[in-house]
Amino acid sequence: MFVLQIIGNILIGVSVAFMALGVFGIFKFDDFYKRVLIVSKIDTVGMLTLIIGLMLRHGFSFFSGKLLLIWIIMIVLSPLVAHIVLKASFQAGYRLDGEIIEPKELEDLNENEENIEE
Amino acid sequence: MELVLWAMIIFLACYIVRVVKGPTIWDRLLGMNLISAKIIMIIIIFASMNNTGYLLDFAIIYSLFGFIGTIFIALFLSKQKLGRRRGKK
Amino acid sequence: MEITQILLAIWLFVALFIVFESRVYRIIIYFGIFSLISSVIYLFMGAPDVAKGEAAVSAFATIFFIICAEKYYVNKADVLTEKKPKFNKGRWITKIVLPLLFVGGLFMLFMQFIPEIGEINTQLKDQYLARFMTDVGGENAVTAIYLGYRVYDTLFEALILVIVVVAVAHVSWYEKGDSVTDGYHSEIENYNTAIFTMRIIWPIILLFGVYLIMNGHISAGGGFQGGLAIACFFICRYMIYGIYDIPIKKVIRLEELVFLNIIIMAILAIFLGAENFIVERFPVDRGVYQTIYLLIMNILIGLKVACGFFILFYRYIAIERLDIVQKRNSKREK
Repeated sequence: MFVLQIIGNILIGVSVAFMALGVFGIFKFDDFYKRVLIVSKIDTVGMLTLIIGLMLRHGFSFFSGKLLLIWIIMIVLSPLVAHIVLKASFQAGYRLDGEIIEPKELEDLNENEENIEE
Repeated sequence: MELVLWAMIIFLACYIVRVVKGPTIWDRLLGMNLISAKIIMIIIIFASMNNTGYLLDFAIIYSLFGFIGTIFIALFLSKQKLGRRRGKK
Repeated sequence: MEITQILLAIWLFVALFIVFESRVYRIIIYFGIFSLISSVIYLFMGAPDVAKGEAAVSAFATIFFIICAEKYYVNKADVLTEKKPKFNKGRWITKIVLPLLFVGGLFMLFMQFIPEIGEINTQLKDQYLARFMTDVGGENAVTAIYLGYRVYDTLFEALILVIVVVAVAHVSWYEKGDSVTDGYHSEIENYNTAIFTMRIIWPIILLFGVYLIMNGHISAGGGFQGGLAIACFFICRYMIYGIYDIPIKKVIRLEELVFLNIIIMAILAIFLGAENFIVERFPVDRGVYQTIYLLIMNILIGLKVACGFFILFYRYIAIERLDIVQKRNSKREK
């Protein structure tokens, strides 16, 4: 059990390092599409590592079972939220480097895409 | 473990600065998602320090309801700039 | 310094930004953060039931606010470009900050005369804490209070929700929405991944709501929180299938019937009493009856809250739908 606790502590330290990198990155990157990287990858990895570390610290118990449920929920939902926000911003006409497409142009673009599909 | 809790709260404050400062509305939405994730982590660490299992229900309820709320905001904002998009025929 | 104090400081910071902000969509996002942090503060201060309720209410408040804002700001392009609307600053320092400082100073003065929390001589509290297990049953003292000692307050709160729902259902001017099934509104058709994942977590929310209601007398939670989770289940159903096929008038009838059942149950439990009427005929342990009473009341309140929020949500969506249908018809005529 002692070895497991040490491994758990190391994992928790790694996760805090990941999250600190996320905080660094969210101030360094200057564009929205670059910041999505923080939510979808770095922060998710940090959370998952932290939960695994806590599970190792607690051993095989009811507490760890609930943590496993949260782990499964987070690994599905956290990247998905990033994906949905990204797609919504794209559909609303926000492009790379802060360019915003006007509504009329965007409607024309959508109609062209639909015509191509038909 | 207390150090980790303090680190989480510092990260929370940093993300709030990002939300307040963020140039576009999407940055704010992203920051809200990050803040809810950090709050889930705070609750999990707090429950682990006190070894109280019932606090973990809160983590589940935050993740589920936060997901629904974020999806709703993203959907309604994505319609906003377009006006009304045409439906399928 | 404690963690709760730091969280309170962050909370105040966010609240100040809500007060001095004038753009609607920013306020909605700030409000989501505000209620998340307030929920954690309730949790750390030892009120888990309120924290659960706040977490659920925050999601619903966000949804209702965003629908209302969308109706008010239809087709206005300056939402995303974030132009600051003209806001007459005036002498806001004298109008807002000085009264706040005055009230805060008075409050601080008043706080000097309040004893510490642990020092208050509370015989009533000790008596309640010692007796609620045998009086009402269940392990959750909050459940014992709101279904045992204060059941009439609960009845009036439930009555207020019924009045709100009936008022919204009759005042809103969309009447023929009971059988529209074209699925026009479902913008989420463009989000295939979201639909797939929502189909997975859809049953989990229902399961979680049932768990909250069934465990209401043992752990934190109860009828209100579980009912909100079940209403959230129906919102997910709307977002997945994008249809409006549930007959809303039958749901209103169901809610009224459930409210009647709550009143009948409370009067039965109080006037007949478990000890006088039933126990003499069927001599079982008294705790069994108390558990059954708490369980039935939690289930009824959960059903009522779920129906109420479901009707409110569908009415909000319905008014918006009529808008869209009218626009589409006018386009076709052209």
